[in-house]
Formats: sequence, C-alpha cells, structure tokens
Amino acid sequence: MRIQEHPILGTYEKGKTVSFTFDGKQLEGCAGEPIAMALKNAGVMVHRYTKKEHKPRGIFCAIGRCTDCVMVVNGKPNVRTCITPLEAGMEVRTQYGVSAGKEGNAV
Amino acid sequence: MKHYDMIIVGAGPAGLSAAIEAAKRGMKVVVYDENAKPGGQLFKQIHKFFGSREHYAKIRGFQIGEKLLAEASELGVEVVLDAIVIGIFPEKEVTVKIGEHVTHAKGDTILIATGASENMVTFPGWTLPGVIGAGAAQTMMNLHGVLPGHRVLMLGTGNVGLVVSFQLMQAGCEVVALADAAPRVGGYGVHASKVARCGVPFYLSHTIVSAEGEDHVTGVTIGQVDANWQIIEGSEKHFDVDTICLAVGLSPMSKLCDMAGCDMEDNPAKAGFVPVVDEYGETSVSGIYAAGDVSGIEEASSAMIEGRIAGIAAAVKLGYLSEAEGTAEIEKQKAALGGLRQGMFAPGMRGKQITETEEGIAISQNLLQYGFVSDEEVERFPGVTHSSGIHPVMECTQNIPCNPCQDACKNHCIKIGSHITSLPSVDPEAKCTGCGMCVAACSGQAIFLVREDCGDGTAEITLPYEFLPLPQKGEKGTALSRKGEAVCEAEVVGVRTAKVFDHTNLLTMKVPKEYAMKARFFRKGEPV
Repeated sequence: MRIQEHPILGTYEKGKTVSFTFDGKQLEGCAGEPIAMALKNAGVMVHRYTKKEHKPRGIFCAIGRCTDCVMVVNGKPNVRTCITPLEAGMEVRTQYGVSAGKEGNAV
Repeated sequence: MKHYDMIIVGAGPAGLSAAIEAAKRGMKVVVYDENAKPGGQLFKQIHKFFGSREHYAKIRGFQIGEKLLAEASELGVEVVLDAIVIGIFPEKEVTVKIGEHVTHAKGDTILIATGASENMVTFPGWTLPGVIGAGAAQTMMNLHGVLPGHRVLMLGTGNVGLVVSFQLMQAGCEVVALADAAPRVGGYGVHASKVARCGVPFYLSHTIVSAEGEDHVTGVTIGQVDANWQIIEGSEKHFDVDTICLAVGLSPMSKLCDMAGCDMEDNPAKAGFVPVVDEYGETSVSGIYAAGDVSGIEEASSAMIEGRIAGIAAAVKLGYLSEAEGTAEIEKQKAALGGLRQGMFAPGMRGKQITETEEGIAISQNLLQYGFVSDEEVERFPGVTHSSGIHPVMECTQNIPCNPCQDACKNHCIKIGSHITSLPSVDPEAKCTGCGMCVAACSGQAIFLVREDCGDGTAEITLPYEFLPLPQKGEKGTALSRKGEAVCEAEVVGVRTAKVFDHTNLLTMKVPKEYAMKARFFRKGEPV
C-alpha cells in the first residue's frame, strides 16, 4: 500500500506508472523505484524459496545487504530487488533455490 | 590511475562532512558510495535532531542531508555512486567496483566512513517474510512511500526502535507493542513518551517467542524473560500482526579498516570491532582516518563532527592548512563533540544504571519500565511548574545534550544554562505569551503549553501533533494520558501550523480542568 500523504514528507516524488510482470501476472509500479517496493505495494510478500528447505524469504534489510529479496529478473537470478530500479516490461519471477534454470526458474 | 588528496569511503553524515572540510581547504576529494543515492541513512531520518544549533538541532535528518549535499556540491566534491570500494592496499591505493568495472584510485589520505549494519536476533519464524529490520521499515516508508505493514510489533526500545515506531504511526501503521529483553527502555525517554501517549504498550524484559505464519507473518508471541533470558512459562502474549520490526542495535562495518592493516579492537563501549583511532580519527596507519559509526556507534550528529575533524586533520597533514589554524578549528569541533557526548546517554555511560539526574532528582522509573513518566513523578522535574496563566510544561526528565527550547523562547521563560545536558527549568519571572515556539522546537515533543484553569472549569493544553489527518477546530475527540489511556472528552479549540514550526502542528484542546496535568494527547474520533 502506498502512503498518499505524509505528515512530514508530504507527497512523494515517484516515477511514471509502468507495467511489469510477476510470475507472468501483470502488475504496475513506479519507474525507478526498487522492484521490491512495487511488489510490496502489490501485496507480494514471498520473493524466493530457499534451495534446501524450500522456505519463503522476502524483504528483510531493504538496502541491498542481506540478499533475502533476490529474484529472477529478466531471466537473471539473484537480483537484489530492493536496490534494482523497476523498468517498464520487466519480467520478475519468484526464485527457487539459487539459479534461474531453463524456463527462468529452477524448481 | 586517478589521484586524490583524500579518498572518502561512504557518503553518509561523516563522509560528507569530512569532504566539505577538506574541499574547503582546496583539497581534491572523491567520495565513493555503494548506494544509488548519497546521504547514508540521513534521508530516512524524519525526526528533528537533538543537540544545539551547532549540531543542527531541531532540524530534521533529511534536511541536514540536503544541506550537506548542497555544500559538498558547491565545493566541487566528486561523489561517485554505485561505487563499492572492494580493496584497500598499501600506499593508500583502493580498488573500486563501479557497475561491472573495477578501477584503481590513489589517495594521499583516506577516510573510511562506512557506517554500521543492523544487528539481528533469531527466533522461530525469524526468516518469514514480514520480519524486517527497522532500517528497512524506514527505507520503505520514508524514502519510497510504501507502507511496511498494517500492524507492527517492534522489538527493541533503543532510539532506533522508538523513533521508527513513531514514524510507523506517522506513516499510517498501527504499532501494537514495543518489546525489549532488557529491563529498561534503552533510548531517550522523550522518544518513548511520544510513542506511549499514543497508546502503544511497552513490554520490557520481554522478547519474541516465535513469529507465526506459513508464507508470511500473521502473528507474534512475546514472553517475559527471567534473569537468564529464558521465557517464563505462562507469560506469553499473542498479537495479530503482519510485520515484526527488529531494532536490536547496530554494529560497525569496519572490514575495510581491518583490510587496510589498521590496529583493531573489540570494544563494547563502541558496540563492536572498531579501528583504534586517535583524537583526530586517524588510525594506526598514518593518513588513514575513520569517522562515524564505523569507529563506534553513536548518533549521526556526532558522526558529522568526527567527519569534520578528520577532514581538517587531513588538510593539516597535507599542508593545506597551517597547524595553528587546524588546531584552532579542531578544538572548536572537539568542544562541539564534547557537548554531544555528555549526559545519561553518553558513550561512556553504556550499560550503567542511572538513578539520579545531574540535578540530583530521582529518575522516573516508570519511564524506564513503561515508556512514560507517571503523573506523580513528573511533578518533581524543574520543567514542570504551576501558575495561573498559560505556561510551558516541559516533561524533559533525563540529561541529554539538547537545548533548542531555551533559544526558542523569545521571552526567556525557559532556562537550561550553559551546560547543555541540564534539565530545562521555567523562569517564574518571565511571561509566557503562548506563542508555542518551544513546543515546536522540542525535538523530543516533550513541551506542552498549559492553561490550568480557564475560569469555566476547563483547562487548555497545547501539544505537538505530527499526524494526518489533522484535527480541525471544534472537533471533539478523546484526551489520552501519558500512558495513552482515554481519560476524558476533549475539544480542539485551535490548530496552528506555520513554516517555522516545520510540520509540527500545535493542537490546543480543551478538557475539564482536573485533567490539565493528565491529558497529553488528542485522539480523533467519537469520544468514549
């Protein structure tokens, strides 16, 4: 959910609305904001599942340090979505394990 | 290979301040930062800073960041972003990864100002999506305008936990509780009080038992800990939440210092593994400096001064500034830093239990245990007095280095004196005009204007209000106590907003006069 108006910060300067896909589903976000913010706004909590135990992971540090939020972006795995700017038409996929695999996902 | 007088790693408060001082003396300076935007964590800090004017007191963190950036850019400081310093070699050569490329640069001096990273705690369910760092919450809401969650439990009552809890409420989240395994609130009492009066309960000596949920957090259980930090059976409390925020301290990110061969120490007073530095921030390797959280966890205010000192010292070392001039300037900075390092929360006080203020007044125990000063305790502090007309009531009960209230009052009603950590007191001779400048100037939101008896059985209380939607004049709602409990019906009789208040609105509410010293917050909605 987006904050419409903040008591201290007022309104936020955001990029124009663009479309991207998350696991094939079309979503919208603001160009230039971290991919993770667009997903968070859309209510997506799970970014990946761990390799050995298949446990869900999402945003944790939001500043590119912890790597919990990595996903497959445009076929490339292990992209830190919290610091990678959203672009129109991006293909974002839930990551399973540590590699993208043939279809963009390895299960 | 590029060559600089000073290479600075980290464009946060310390790095930028050093860059400004060095560039001012004609030095060629570069600042590398791994992030896409400069400023470190300053742009996530939306509260007013403490200190005095020289420490940028009562200015909000992000505004300080803007000032520093503008100053650095005016002085021609080169700030390179998305640039990770991955190596530091003899003769002060660094390797920097910019995008996919690695380049080399050499500096006659280097400042390492890489800051700190958040500590974590583990508990069953801690890896679930929805468990986030307090810094992550700040990043989401204050930088990107995205709500971190709807219902949040905060673990940690240090300044980060307290400040972020308040910010979560400002963004529109509900904070269900603050928990801390420590027996006492760790951060400033004034930060705790502004959270408590909104109705958020504090659970000290409590920690998280488990986070619940399949794919993401749906709830949390906390429990009371015994002397051995074990959960006391039967003390568990459950909350439905979608977010758990961790604010359990910071650790210096000093790896580059270690890599550079600087003497390191594990120093609990500095919250971790830090380089040994002298009074100028110089490490054991001549010409390599460290400033800010990397050399010991403190506030951004002290990081800025440490940075300035290192920048000036480097200018002296390279001959851009005479030793006499440099010494004089550094002494000034050291005095400012000394001012910040006083009081109950000074670095040297870490872990010590304080029972009395510098004035010899017993500390509010209620504040340490529950986050608010009790009605009885508040009366013993010098900022709390009674008189017939309108007057300031300053519920400032701990010695912290801060004095904007004294400067704010044009009529000199408020006295702190030359000792910056002294508790503010009211001058009974001076006349309060009710201008409200002190209410807006108090970074701790601890000053209220009170007219105890309006002559018709009511009292008026003016309080700082930083939430939306802003209540309107004539609106009826509920007055809350310091604990955040509903005490009586209240009517808004005035709302003042001014540029000089910098987004701290002054809300005046009318309550029955017996609640003049009890009602401290206004809750919108039907009176109960």
